[in-house]
Amino acid sequence: MSTDTLVTLRVTHRFMAAPERVFDAWLDPATAGRWLFATPTGTIVKVEIDARVGGKFIVVRRDGEDVEHVGEYLEIDRPRRLAFTFAVPKFSVAMTKVTIDIAPLESGCELTLVHEGVLPEWAERTRGGWGMILEALARSLGG
Amino acid sequence: MVPDQALDSVFHALADPTRRAMLRSLAAGERKIGDLAAPFRMSFAAASKHVRVLEGAGLVRRRIAGRTHLCRIEPAPLAAAEAWLSFYQRFWTERLQTLDSLLQAEDRKGPTP
Repeated sequence: MSTDTLVTLRVTHRFMAAPERVFDAWLDPATAGRWLFATPTGTIVKVEIDARVGGKFIVVRRDGEDVEHVGEYLEIDRPRRLAFTFAVPKFSVAMTKVTIDIAPLESGCELTLVHEGVLPEWAERTRGGWGMILEALARSLGG
Repeated sequence: MVPDQALDSVFHALADPTRRAMLRSLAAGERKIGDLAAPFRMSFAAASKHVRVLEGAGLVRRRIAGRTHLCRIEPAPLAAAEAWLSFYQRFWTERLQTLDSLLQAEDRKGPTP
């Protein structure tokens, strides 16, 4: 964990599918709209992906209200690595960073996702957003 | 649940590299303010000011023993960071499982174009 990052989490998942298919699922708007920020109760109503370094994405999920997921691509190295900034402005103005590494296996591939939260240069701009994240957490845990 | 205003003061306190270093030092145990100041070549007064910000955010508790000011870490506000972690841990785990199911469903339908 870098000293400039407050929180970092890592999630890995093994896929039977080839690295290229798993990689493309992040950047192809039709595919991404079916899983990336989808939830069982919400409907994805907008997916715009400008899949180049410096390009932006916006995914809007309608779940009672519209929730925007936005970010900018920092690194695109098909099919090995994808990095982008990520924010949900409705919950927090904090900009976070997501990095995905895909390693080929004999059959399929292993994806490692690292999500670095609230970078200090953004921390002072954070307002009530975390309270909403905590409420969302409580809701998702049925609290 | 931690009120929003409390979270703001936590993030303000953590936004400063000197205060983050002080917290890392305090994570190892109780320290005198002089000990916290030493690595930064700062005065007692300057170090005390940083400690006050950390105290205000509820991250540090200070006790005075004679002429010595002793500080220790208060981990509770950092639970907010833990909440963030568990939220997104669950979020990404579920998203990747959904992607996996999607790709497997495509495979069952036949070869991808």
